[in-house]
Amino acid sequence: MRGKRLIPPLVLVGVWQVVCSVGLVPAFKLPSPFQVLTGLAELMTVGLPPGHLLHTHALYSLERVFFGYTAAVLTAIPLGIGMGWSRRVRYLLEPLVEIFRPIPPLAWIPIAILWFGIGTKSAAFIIFLGAFFPILLNTASGVLGIDPILVEAILTMNANRRDIILKVLVPGAIPSIITGMRIGLGLGWMTLVAAEFSGVKQGYGLGYMIMTARDIQRPDEVLAGMIVIGVTGLVIDGMLRLVEKSLIRWR
Amino acid sequence: MALSLKLSGLTKIFPGNGTMEEVRVIDPLDCHIEQGQFFSIVGPSGCGKTTLLRIIAGLEPASEGTILLNGEAVANNDNRVGLVFQEFALFPWRTTVQNIEMGLEILGVPKTERRQEALKYVREFGLTGFEDTYPRMLSGGMKQRVAIARTLVANPEVLLMDEPFGFLDSQSRMEMQNFLLEVWEKRQTTVVFVTHSVSEAIYLGDRVMVMSNRPSSIMDIFDIDIPRPRERSHPRLSKLREEVFQLCARL
Amino acid sequence: MRKTPLIIFAVIAVMGVLFLARDRTSREEKPEDAPVRMAYLQNDIHHLALWVALEKGYFQEEGVEVEISGIFRAGPELMNAFTAGVLDMAYVGEAPSTFAVANKTADVTVVAQVNTEGSALVVARASSGIKAVSDLEGKTVGVPGHATVQDFLLRKALFNAGVDSSRVNILIIKPPEMIGALRTDQIDAFIAWEPYPSKAAVAEVGRNLASSKDIWPDHPCCVLVSDSKFMESKPGKVDKVVRAHVRATEFIRGNKEEAVRIGVKYTGMDEPTVRRALQFVEYTYVPSVDGEGEYVRFLSELGYIKVDDIDAFVSDFINEDFLNEIEAR
Repeated sequence: MRGKRLIPPLVLVGVWQVVCSVGLVPAFKLPSPFQVLTGLAELMTVGLPPGHLLHTHALYSLERVFFGYTAAVLTAIPLGIGMGWSRRVRYLLEPLVEIFRPIPPLAWIPIAILWFGIGTKSAAFIIFLGAFFPILLNTASGVLGIDPILVEAILTMNANRRDIILKVLVPGAIPSIITGMRIGLGLGWMTLVAAEFSGVKQGYGLGYMIMTARDIQRPDEVLAGMIVIGVTGLVIDGMLRLVEKSLIRWR
Repeated sequence: MALSLKLSGLTKIFPGNGTMEEVRVIDPLDCHIEQGQFFSIVGPSGCGKTTLLRIIAGLEPASEGTILLNGEAVANNDNRVGLVFQEFALFPWRTTVQNIEMGLEILGVPKTERRQEALKYVREFGLTGFEDTYPRMLSGGMKQRVAIARTLVANPEVLLMDEPFGFLDSQSRMEMQNFLLEVWEKRQTTVVFVTHSVSEAIYLGDRVMVMSNRPSSIMDIFDIDIPRPRERSHPRLSKLREEVFQLCARL
Repeated sequence: MRKTPLIIFAVIAVMGVLFLARDRTSREEKPEDAPVRMAYLQNDIHHLALWVALEKGYFQEEGVEVEISGIFRAGPELMNAFTAGVLDMAYVGEAPSTFAVANKTADVTVVAQVNTEGSALVVARASSGIKAVSDLEGKTVGVPGHATVQDFLLRKALFNAGVDSSRVNILIIKPPEMIGALRTDQIDAFIAWEPYPSKAAVAEVGRNLASSKDIWPDHPCCVLVSDSKFMESKPGKVDKVVRAHVRATEFIRGNKEEAVRIGVKYTGMDEPTVRRALQFVEYTYVPSVDGEGEYVRFLSELGYIKVDDIDAFVSDFINEDFLNEIEAR
């Protein structure tokens, strides 16, 4: 059954290869799947820049995402719960949120570099910005969506505010929170690549690798890098989905 | 018998909000309910019987008047009073056992103890086999049984019930009525049972209070002096039903 | 029944690819008097000759119409425009064009040099610790890109000073950000093309540790390239453009003041910076064949490109015929 899902990608690759082999599109504009694969092999064995291997690039990128994303999760969830629960908090914070949210994380890059320098901290900050808002808003909406009667039920059991938050708001909002976390992770990962374009101190990173491939005019390696980024994104989202499955068995 | 629940001079005024004028729901209401009694309340829709229950439960403040339970004023979220909702209000992310033990969890009872208590209720209430089931898989009658167990597990002195069988089909309804009577007889808790089914109120209650339209007051309180166990077809029941209906017709 | 969506999907996929990949370079259909589509790099003072030629109307005088199809922030992007077929000729760095040709993503030929030299290794003014190139060991130095001419210059300088380049932390950072990075101590030094070193000096943020003249005299920097097919089909136009370029280059040499004025106009930088920058740039139209050879060798050794016959590559890459014809006059 799961095999059927592989068909569209395989068809796409097949068409792609045919288009290239037949010469409908010149090789320098669109490397063939085969060329991309060899490019990928080169990235793994020789590395780009030479000596910087693919897996190390990936690890550095993942590390930056980890820091930025964790920061986003740790700040956005409590704030989101506050916004969902308290009308006053919502009233006060909403204007700020609505002003900052539309600003693309990438627009923050010059400021990030001024504040945090060139390196993991500024990249993590950009990723933090990308992941923060989806998590915040989904958490708030998750809390708002909880049936008020559940709060009343726990109130009749002599619950204090902490009980309400920990035993009703959080568990009830978890499906939305996880949705927000998945969206935030996806956005954060996408933002990372572009954030790395502006320079990374350690000389490693998937976005940095792609930028280099572009600078030295290797579209096959650019495409290979893009595929690696896409697949990695898929894998980390998959992990989050597993967490989601175990947490929302009750739905 | 010691006086159990005493309501004195209770009123509830919902303030107008600009376009609507204020709504008086309960005009000074006095009544006392004796310890261990099954006290039914009937009345037309919107007359405030649910509001009355919520006030006693501590979910809403009274505008005037006091509620004394064994001489002590009833506080917000008072442990001595439990509430069962028409919509069950089970926590969907908790299993049967976890729902039942919620009250004890809040009181800080250690894990093994409270699980044991919960399991006792599971056995008594015929929920064996469903300990780890989530509410969405339970039937209406089972859900209400879990809800009642959840409320009773903290040993309240007064059990408030707000049209608890309103969402059940007539078959389940009758089963649950008998089930409730069994549970009540075993524990001799005071029960305040709100319903808009006159037959139900009379079948179950020791006394039936009939409320008027807004601003509601007590029209009459009937003593149901039929010995238990009662047959539904008991002639005295029919006669009493007639009397109550006539009273209601005068509203 | 169930195969239908699949077939539709495949058809759409093919159509999509064909649409995206359509060759927009239908040069054969272009009218004879279509303007030459040119491009240059934003704020790159090396490309002054083009601006002079535009200001002074040299292209019209030579009888060719030129239109600026793009102003790019970096060489690789400009080369991508050649790949996409939207440029005929351009002023661009020798590094990105070498890469493009070596990796076969664009087919261009160098028809004239634009400038040599004009880069500098800059250190923070305040840092008294770095007095010579050898002091760069263990420090962080910014270069504009991998395997650029500046990268090469840096490695050459380190080599000359006896420093192992692997013991220097070389960081890729775009020139506009270099000055800020130097000021906030993110990097200890940078190497970039003019006018950035001059800007750093005028802003009193940095001072030259070494100019490219000290490291590699006469090193090639920017070139005038033409799409090879365009060169073959319209040599007349290429010839006229090269002539205009030669005149403009000579004008710069003889008219410093006006050159400064035009430089300010096209880069938007302040006068002191442009004036100082011009001192360090050598405007010449004679291609540096040896320089290119050395550069290609450097790239091959580092593994960035694979060129088997370096001399053949260079002689294919640089075409001096147009210049020789002008000279012969």
